Amino acid sequence: MNFISLQQVGWIAGNTFLEAVRQKFFNSVLLIAVALVASSNFFQQFDFGTSELKFIADFGFGALFFFGSILSITVTTQLFFNEIENRTALTMLAKPVHKVSFLFGKWAGVQLLMLAFVALLCALLAVILYWRETSLMAEQRYEIFSEEGILRYSDIALFGFLQWLKFGLLSAITLFIASFSNTSIYTMIVGFCALVVCQLQYIARDAYAEMDQGLGRLLVQGIGLAFPNFQLFNVGDQLLFLTEETLPAGITVRMALYAGIYVAAFMLLALASFRHREI
Amino acid sequence: MSVAAITIKDLTKDFSVGMTGVKVRAVDSLNLEVRDNEIFGLLGPNGSGKSTTIKIVLGLLGASFGECLIYGKPSHAVEARRSVGFLPEAPYFYRYLSGRELVCYYAKLCGVPRREISDAADSVIELVGMTEAAPRRVGTYSKGMLQRIGLAQAIVHDPQLVILDEPTAGVDPLGSAAIAEIIRELKSRGKIILLSYHLLAQIEGLCDRVAILHRGHLVREGSIDELVTESEAESLIVEGLRPDGKIAVEAAIAEAGGRWVRREKPRLSLDTLFLNEVQRLEKERSARAAEEKGSS
Amino acid sequence: MLPLLCSWLWQAFVTVKFDHPLLLRVRAVFLTVLFLVAVGVFTRPVEDVAWERVKSGQTELNLASIEGALGQGIIVGILGGFRAITADFLWIQANAVWERKERATFDSMVRLLTTIDPRPLFFWINSARMIAYDIPSWRIREEGGYDTVPDWRQREIDLEQAEQAFALIERGLRFHPQNSRLYLEIGQIYLNRLDDVEAAAPWFLKASQQPDAPHFAARIYAELLRRQGKNAAAYTFLKDLHKRLPDGDLFARKGIILERIRTLEETLKIPVEDRFKPY
Repeated sequence: MNFISLQQVGWIAGNTFLEAVRQKFFNSVLLIAVALVASSNFFQQFDFGTSELKFIADFGFGALFFFGSILSITVTTQLFFNEIENRTALTMLAKPVHKVSFLFGKWAGVQLLMLAFVALLCALLAVILYWRETSLMAEQRYEIFSEEGILRYSDIALFGFLQWLKFGLLSAITLFIASFSNTSIYTMIVGFCALVVCQLQYIARDAYAEMDQGLGRLLVQGIGLAFPNFQLFNVGDQLLFLTEETLPAGITVRMALYAGIYVAAFMLLALASFRHREI
Repeated sequence: MSVAAITIKDLTKDFSVGMTGVKVRAVDSLNLEVRDNEIFGLLGPNGSGKSTTIKIVLGLLGASFGECLIYGKPSHAVEARRSVGFLPEAPYFYRYLSGRELVCYYAKLCGVPRREISDAADSVIELVGMTEAAPRRVGTYSKGMLQRIGLAQAIVHDPQLVILDEPTAGVDPLGSAAIAEIIRELKSRGKIILLSYHLLAQIEGLCDRVAILHRGHLVREGSIDELVTESEAESLIVEGLRPDGKIAVEAAIAEAGGRWVRREKPRLSLDTLFLNEVQRLEKERSARAAEEKGSS
Repeated sequence: MLPLLCSWLWQAFVTVKFDHPLLLRVRAVFLTVLFLVAVGVFTRPVEDVAWERVKSGQTELNLASIEGALGQGIIVGILGGFRAITADFLWIQANAVWERKERATFDSMVRLLTTIDPRPLFFWINSARMIAYDIPSWRIREEGGYDTVPDWRQREIDLEQAEQAFALIERGLRFHPQNSRLYLEIGQIYLNRLDDVEAAAPWFLKASQQPDAPHFAARIYAELLRRQGKNAAAYTFLKDLHKRLPDGDLFARKGIILERIRTLEETLKIPVEDRFKPY
């Protein structure tokens, strides 16, 4: 492909990742998220029995979802505007580097960072759950009807993967906003608004069918179509326990395809806007 | 090379101001050519269109009208930039990289083959005199060192055309002299250098040709000698001569026992020329504005 | 009128500058929305299958029944994808309320959290136990204590609380119709709290008929039949049970079942030749 160099995207992504891990904001949020997941041990004091594992999992998944979403928006914004304000973007784009390589490189660098974040939190959550599961199984054999245990650990990785897909989509949306925005604060505010809309999109999606024909219905239908459905990726409370079925592979593939199409769409929009941007 | 390094024809750039539809013309019908193996200076006060012209040459901005070619290729094409190196004004680089890492990173982006990157980086780092400081992080560099490492990243891929925007801004005289030497060295290697400068005294000793811009227009263009020489006057440089007429002076010099040394055209400094031109143009503009106001 | 309108439109077309920044911006927004709607339409077939699967695991929110109790934070938490963790935190709050013995608040909190997230069995079972076992004790102590309150009044309180617990569990059965633990809970309340063997027995039978039934549910049903003097019915049931149970399963306790069959054969004076042959 003449308009994009995957090698350049890789180098820019690597450099973006190096810059991102040095950011104080990322390190602070990571520490808080790790502390929150680790503190889920406080559920021990309530003596919930094996249901304690549900609380730990909900807490861990919630921390991953919450802090991951914040990081996706803020890190993408900061890394993009750092390049513009420090004019390192000027130096880079004066080289034989396509703007599309630059944008995809920034996005890929943020995704590397989010992968590290997701992997770390999932690993920590798995360790805590494993420790509590073995303790509880030893203490409360009468509650357990299966010798296999209570949890399906591969579902932690599955949830992490789905959240990572969602963070990629959120980063792409943020990059699109940044491509025409003049300030980082505006980008972050609009990015958070987009997050809320995408999170609640499923309500519009399912509600428009019950509305009467008219402008209201058209608007709700438009929101349901234009914004991606983030609720699709929030399956943490359906996973993990052996008593429930895990997500079929075909469904996971569909979710990945869905995220991929939307990432491509928003990156295209970002490119169309960024091409006319004066650096 | 038979093709000019940079060819600018009728280049015009308008910027929109807000949502009102009002446009500001930053560059107006500019025609310029930068030829092979020369050091070309682009001069002008703030707002004259220098930076806009450079950005259009680098493909960072699109022209509203006209064209800009680099070795015959449109400047907005990415391929055109393979033979271009650029040092921005007041450069800022990734503070966490060492000088060498920075140069290698940009070498990769410019398509330098992997096996040649190390040697290319070492070579340019040595040229700019940063061998000792190269292993240190860029965040620890002084202003002068930043300019030098910036120069290194601009030339690591051995471009034919090098564009330097205020390369000695904020640098002490010794550092400026060193950078000027590097520029001359680049010229001796057959490169073409386009400089954008405010420090006119330095331009005078460095550039082969200059172009003066004012409010987006090309005011004057030519070699330094052509621009700064006053054609209407002559200067006589005489040793121990009383002030009399030209012929009488010659005889008088001989009579008075003086020695005729040489006859030269008097030279204005580039500073003086620049200021004179700008003042003249401002006066003309004010007069035109007053006329228009009077007639309406 | 029409020629006039066409003439006006033509005049507007030739005089309006389409390079006006405002028009360009409006056009850009319009095209962006159109593009995103097109992407939404394109991805709908991919999304639909995945969304149906995800939705099937998320019980529908029926917020109308608890509208008054919902605070803003709770609404944001639920709709923002934090349904499970919101319910978890409400449960922890409910525990704190339970410690303070605030009956009315506890009842409303249980109603709220089971509406927000009806999926965890833990909420239904533990709430029912607190309502059926703990609250009667509080009420009796409020009225003077076990020594002061007459037996009939104690029984009355036990029945009232048991009915509330049954209503709660029956609401839970709407979401978990095949979960044996809910049937077992009703049976155990009848048996252990109300000492009503006749009412308890059918619930142990229903529990034993569910796909995830523990083996002891059927054994207890048979024992309750015996306690009611229905030895013949118990004998028939146990014989059938013994045939159905797998041989290698330790929890099946086929040995104990055989012992009970033999005891019943003695009680019922079954002739030796007609006695149950396990193999």
